[in-house]
Amino acid sequence: MSAPSTDIAVIGWAQTPMVRHTDKSETQLLMEAITDAIVPLGLTRADIDYTCLGSCDYITGQAFSFVSNLDAIGAWPPKRDSHVEMDGAWALYEAWLRLQEGDIEIAVVTGSGRSSTGDPALIYPMEMDPYFLAPLGADPLTFAALQARAVIAAGIADERSMAEVAVRARGGDVETLLAEEYLRQPLRRHDVPPITDGAAAMVLATGDRARRLVERPAYITGFDHRTECHNPSFRALDDSPSTRIAAESAGLSDAPVEVAELQAAFTHEELLLREVLGFGDEVFVNSSGGALRDNPIMATGLCRVGHAANHIFGGGSRALAHATSGPCLQQNLVCILEGRS
Amino acid sequence: MTRFIESTITFPYKRSLGPVVGAFMTALTEKQILGIRCQDAVLVPPMEWDPATGAELPHEFVEVGPAGTVESWTWVGTPSIQHPLDHSFAFAFIRLDGATTPLLHAVDAGTPQAMSEGMRVAPRWRGSREGRIDDIICFVRGEAAETEGEDTGGATDPVTRMDYLASITYRNPVPEAADRATEASREHRLLGLRCPTCGRVYAGGRGLCPVDAIELGPECEVDLPHTGTITNFAIVTPVQYPGQTETEPFVRAFVLLDGTDVIIPYSVVIELPADQVKVGLRVDAVWASPAEETEEGGGMGGSWGSLLGWIPNGEPDIDDPDLVNRIF
Ligand SMILES: [Zn+2]
Repeated sequence: MSAPSTDIAVIGWAQTPMVRHTDKSETQLLMEAITDAIVPLGLTRADIDYTCLGSCDYITGQAFSFVSNLDAIGAWPPKRDSHVEMDGAWALYEAWLRLQEGDIEIAVVTGSGRSSTGDPALIYPMEMDPYFLAPLGADPLTFAALQARAVIAAGIADERSMAEVAVRARGGDVETLLAEEYLRQPLRRHDVPPITDGAAAMVLATGDRARRLVERPAYITGFDHRTECHNPSFRALDDSPSTRIAAESAGLSDAPVEVAELQAAFTHEELLLREVLGFGDEVFVNSSGGALRDNPIMATGLCRVGHAANHIFGGGSRALAHATSGPCLQQNLVCILEGRS
Repeated sequence: MTRFIESTITFPYKRSLGPVVGAFMTALTEKQILGIRCQDAVLVPPMEWDPATGAELPHEFVEVGPAGTVESWTWVGTPSIQHPLDHSFAFAFIRLDGATTPLLHAVDAGTPQAMSEGMRVAPRWRGSREGRIDDIICFVRGEAAETEGEDTGGATDPVTRMDYLASITYRNPVPEAADRATEASREHRLLGLRCPTCGRVYAGGRGLCPVDAIELGPECEVDLPHTGTITNFAIVTPVQYPGQTETEPFVRAFVLLDGTDVIIPYSVVIELPADQVKVGLRVDAVWASPAEETEEGGGMGGSWGSLLGWIPNGEPDIDDPDLVNRIF
């Protein structure tokens, strides 16, 4: 969808330290992230008109786990609140829609997940198609490997270019990485994301309120998300038509972007997404290190929007953020942010 | 040092299959694999709707395979407990003869060197089949399907349901405030935490003020009275499900502690028949004696520790129509 008549902007965000294993509860992580996001803006929790939290009960191991996360937003007196069982990037989408009603000015969205609570390799297969995939233990590494093979066969990536993506994200040396054993052929350990605990919170504001609070708001000028068929074997894995449609709808072709933050947890996904979005070397992709450096499930996509917003806060004029959900880039979200002189 | 607690949650799902998946699963018991016609294509596994348009597909099933061709594969060197084989194997997209889309399944090939795109494979069937995708143990090299163990034949009735047991083990940090509340309960103390910002007092070891969204440390601890009034209650008639230990109707009451604003929720009421519990009843805390201490603590569970519940103390009832509103 293109820009609404009301200006809606990202005006700040914060993330907790991104670690392999935290002693803190998800609620504690969120309390920290929200405080760190609003305090520099001179806001308190009382100023927040609307919240939308993204998290996943399956990862937390508790039904209605988002209810205890409400403790982090200071929900008294009662607040307008919503929740998505998705990455915080989709919570951002919902807040963007809500702000367009025009009756409220400030929204906070979050994404949170303690991946170390369970074993992601065993949990994700249970979230798959329950008839044909979950009983086989079809795991994310398997699907990623099968998609990598398709992307390589299409000439979009090879094992070397994938290793180069890993080196840009995490450092190291391509030759050394390529000498490693396969983890799940054609993937090696460097092609695969880390397991990360963490949370992020982002503040949105409308029109004049945004301009009063910060010097350079990151205006959301286009935002869309699209999904594909749930069964990866029914899709062309060397393409991502949902990303292409979402980007087109968000106005990617209207003007060049300087930077892009792509939620590519696996190295070949970054190469495929660059191809689908038509990015050449002129677009600086994942300068944050992306999901290959830190992969806090349910917050990874929201962090992409945050890093893209940082580019605008720092004087940049146009940036793209991408988030994804489901096996083999099943569902894709594209958000375009712009600064104004 | 934060303490962690491990818990395993199981979800015994019973999934209804519907007319299309049900037909596929029923056919598996007969060692047949069905696809569904979708315009010019044959979709395997069959879907109820056209994945491109969402239009409902007519139930035009097509038998495919049983042999097929490996289109893509990856090698699983170390199988998980969820995987179909307990030794290394390939996950592969297998396009069964007559199908347009590939099926994901395991191939028992021994080594990754034995795998290749274009390789011909056929199912290894389970002798005793229930109508599940894992009635096919895996695929093996060649054109001929095989059966492991004694073949007990197809299902006598159509398969309409599939059991799936999801089981996940989680490891969660225990808030320090919860441990401190449990420790205090061993000395028969009921610990509260007073928020320095709003003055509200919380019991139960949550360790934070949800109104101000701040953490409450040991400096916020206060001792709470052991006497209160039942503000509201429910009589729970237990439904038998896995893990349910109650068999008779029981009460869960909300207790407002004297001189405070603190509610102890979901409280056990001791030595009083369920039909005699009432709003306004005066109660005292009952603590486990050292001899009764168990690993799990008293009847209240969690960080309530040695607090077993509440017992009528004989004082006159409180007659206040607003009491019932106090459940938090
Ligand atoms: Zn407070």
